[in-house]
Amino acid sequence: MKKTFPLILLMIFGIFGILPSFLPHPVIQGIDSFVLNDLMRIISAFALVLGLGSLLRVHFEKIQRHAENWPYSWILVIAFFVTSIIGLFGGVSGHGILPTHIGSFPFDIQTIYLRMEVPLGGTMFALLAFFMASASYRAFRARSTEATLLLSAAFVVMIGILPLGDRISHRLPAFAQWIMDLPLVAGQRGIGFGIALGGLATELKIILGIERSWLGGAE
Amino acid sequence: MILSHDVWTWIGALLSLAIFSFLYKDNPFYKTAEHIFVGITNGYAVTFYWHNILVPVLFNPLFRGRLILIIPLIIGALYFTRFIPKVSWMVRIPIGITIGYYTGVSIPANIEANIVKQVQGTILSPANFRAWHAGSWGILWSVLLFIGVLCVVSYFYFSREHKGLLKLTSRIGIVFIMIGFGAAFGYTVMGRISLLIGRLNFLFGNWLGIIK
Amino acid sequence: MTFIERLTAIDRRIIYLIIALVTLLPMLFPIAQKVRVMSPVDKCFNAVDTIHADKALIIDFDYTPQDMPELEPMAFAMLRHTFTRRIKILVLCLYVQPLGLAQSALDQISAEFNARAQSNADSIIYGRDYVFLGWQPPPLVPIIGMGESIIRVYPRDYYGNQTDTLPLMKRIKNYGNVELLVSLSSSSIPGSWLQYAQNRFGLKVSAGVTSVSAGDFYPFLQSGQFSGLVVGMKGAAEYEELLTRKLNFHTRRKAGESLSSITFAHLAIILFIIIGNIGFFMKRRKK
Repeated sequence: MKKTFPLILLMIFGIFGILPSFLPHPVIQGIDSFVLNDLMRIISAFALVLGLGSLLRVHFEKIQRHAENWPYSWILVIAFFVTSIIGLFGGVSGHGILPTHIGSFPFDIQTIYLRMEVPLGGTMFALLAFFMASASYRAFRARSTEATLLLSAAFVVMIGILPLGDRISHRLPAFAQWIMDLPLVAGQRGIGFGIALGGLATELKIILGIERSWLGGAE
Repeated sequence: MILSHDVWTWIGALLSLAIFSFLYKDNPFYKTAEHIFVGITNGYAVTFYWHNILVPVLFNPLFRGRLILIIPLIIGALYFTRFIPKVSWMVRIPIGITIGYYTGVSIPANIEANIVKQVQGTILSPANFRAWHAGSWGILWSVLLFIGVLCVVSYFYFSREHKGLLKLTSRIGIVFIMIGFGAAFGYTVMGRISLLIGRLNFLFGNWLGIIK
Repeated sequence: MTFIERLTAIDRRIIYLIIALVTLLPMLFPIAQKVRVMSPVDKCFNAVDTIHADKALIIDFDYTPQDMPELEPMAFAMLRHTFTRRIKILVLCLYVQPLGLAQSALDQISAEFNARAQSNADSIIYGRDYVFLGWQPPPLVPIIGMGESIIRVYPRDYYGNQTDTLPLMKRIKNYGNVELLVSLSSSSIPGSWLQYAQNRFGLKVSAGVTSVSAGDFYPFLQSGQFSGLVVGMKGAAEYEELLTRKLNFHTRRKAGESLSSITFAHLAIILFIIIGNIGFFMKRRKK
């Protein structure tokens, strides 16, 4: 029952997910509309709450046990609650019950997002430029014919797509574009077929109850 | 050089420098900034889930009499049984419904977009020859593409030993894959440098006023 | 340390410093470089440019702060294109993070046009010329739901207005009134638009993607599923070039200015790779 009932539900909703693509009957479309617009939307909101609950639980446990780097968990928790309070009570556009400015200094949710999250997130990914340069220098070796091909194609594209490539030779940008249009497409499409067919097989196994890893290990 | 007078610009700049400090080594400033980032991201998500979903889609219609919404409310609430060991198996119900529905929806979509249309783009047809806008060269490129795709697929066929014809086709497939990956790497380099440009623009432009 | 060993053991902090310098120095003297426009961007531009007056364009803003430097310039260019040609647009986000960025982009570009406007007709007016629908998760809900009814999926817009009271929404009901959708995204979302919106409803789709994910989407461009593809900063620079060339729209071309930095950074990385390989081969020969 603890495993059978969810499996049956999965199969029913799985088959129901397929039906609207083939049956444009108003009853089917109407039920699909309710499932998509109401059921799935509300369930996804609760999934977020669950995710947040798990995140907070992990960090509260770290704080309680004084685990490694536990003070930083306080920082996370405080940042989370301050942002949530400002957002929930200050409103999306800053016109809620909580005032979101002191004089001309705003601290509404969008300001916090644009002026704190954007620099933080942007800089985290900007680090990758440095790591990529360092990793390319250390690891990119033309050890074999295939690796040499890869390197050569990379150099052609890196120069060819830029105005410098056009100055070196008028044919270089077109050649770089041809590499994107032909060998890249051939490689990606072949890999894509494998992924699509493999994905399809897995999806069918899930719906038919053959693949049950999503149930978890417990009884 | 005209330093910014905006408090938020200074806050953003200091947070950016805290993240950049990781390039030297891991340190408390980086860890602090990292944890602030995670906290704000989740606080932002909570705000919009409440104002955009839970209130207008669930609570308001429910309190106005749309009682059918009790069903998704109960199913969604079953997620919380995860924290109650005796009934934690019930969390499988919303998970099963979600996985089942999305899996079902994606089957015909996957077949159409990722298999049928891609095969249509590969076969040797006059429409595909013309799509290159390269005159009669289009036929050659289409043939090359066709051969390339078949050879790449043959490379990933591991149910037989790569001997004879299969060895030849998989070698050709590798050539296409390597050239393709090289091109992808070239674009990746541009992508990463672009991200750095964005940050440097902020620090040296908005904050320090050195870049116009 | 021998010369060979030095070649293969440059301290990573020196590499970081060199990358930072070669990227920063060209930015101190910004010059927008002329770029050759390639066919994927040209197709996207034409697809947007030929939208009929009675139809709308949907722009799906799905970039996060992490991808802003690549996707924001193309978002700005596309907004300038649509506002110049008076193409009506609906803007939406499939995830929560891009919301603030979408609002910021719309506010900035519409203010730019309104600063130059001489009359109401010239101005970009919310509700008449564009609508910001906001965010309704999960992504499948708007992708499939808008095929039947946009108002059903978005009863209120991002600002809380009832969507059916907005002038533009009185005639844009579903995908039947939309000629093209452009997805600006760093994830696999453009593929989802193809799988669900294009397959079921025949919607034309173009995409603006990051350089990292370009390889994933080129097969869909070649097969004709995408009506155009704009890739990364270079793609944004090409779009800016087309705005200037075809629409005589002159503004600061941030993506074009960045190409100098990208050029020098690429050359530096190529040099590092060559140096690393020289050291590797010299070591191998020594053995």
